[in-house]
Amino acid sequence: MNLDDELRAALRREDPSPGFAQRVVARAKSKPAPRSWFPKMMWATALAAMLVIGFGAMSEYRENQAERAGREAVLALRITAEKLNSARDKVIRREN
Amino acid sequence: MNAVSVETMTDDPERFEELVREHQAMVFSMACRYLRNRALAEEIAQDVFLQLYRKLPALESPEHVVHWLRWVTAHRLIDHSRQAKRRPQSPLEDVPEPAAADRLGSADPLLSDMLRDLVASLPENARVVMILRYQEDLDPMDIARALDMPIATVKSHLQRSLALLRDKLSRQKGVGK
Repeated sequence: MNLDDELRAALRREDPSPGFAQRVVARAKSKPAPRSWFPKMMWATALAAMLVIGFGAMSEYRENQAERAGREAVLALRITAEKLNSARDKVIRREN
Repeated sequence: MNAVSVETMTDDPERFEELVREHQAMVFSMACRYLRNRALAEEIAQDVFLQLYRKLPALESPEHVVHWLRWVTAHRLIDHSRQAKRRPQSPLEDVPEPAAADRLGSADPLLSDMLRDLVASLPENARVVMILRYQEDLDPMDIARALDMPIATVKSHLQRSLALLRDKLSRQKGVGK
């Protein structure tokens, strides 16, 4: 027999002691049943991304609204001031 | 066994037990040949299967399971012996030679035992390569794939290990004469 065959004979597979598989299963059962973490992580990431995007969009909308309201208020004040100035000028002209 | 059945095996302990039975000889023998210690080999084999139990939902097919088991077992064994390097280890040249007669002519139990000792005394990577080659009957390409190792390195390990074993055996043959 050559060395290759001797090595194959020497290193052939052998079984562990009886009850090995039951011992493995007993140990596995004693721990919480595994679940794939990937789908959970995927859903959690998607939900977090949606929340971030939603929150960002809402903040931007509110910011735009506030900016627009500010601009409108400034315009309204300007118009009011112009009208008041014009009324004041008319009163002054009549008095003269 | 398809992808779904592999994934749902964690819900069915009996089917997982079948899977363990199917592969226990491979995993245990790899550990046993590597460590030359049955108790420690069983302990490591159990850990590998527990890791498999946790990993099963991510494995796609029976072939994937086999590949994963070989890869994890090999790397666990290498890690184990690297951690245990604090203990003094005897290199191949220092393995005591049993009082040998001419044993090269037949596969006798003493020669097998001596070969297992010699293989177990090889450096970590070479030892795993030899076990995958002669226990699992993998060709160098499959070993390279299983260990994520360049094929040239696998071939080099095989050649050097075989040369060392031949040298050791021929010396013993000389002693026996």
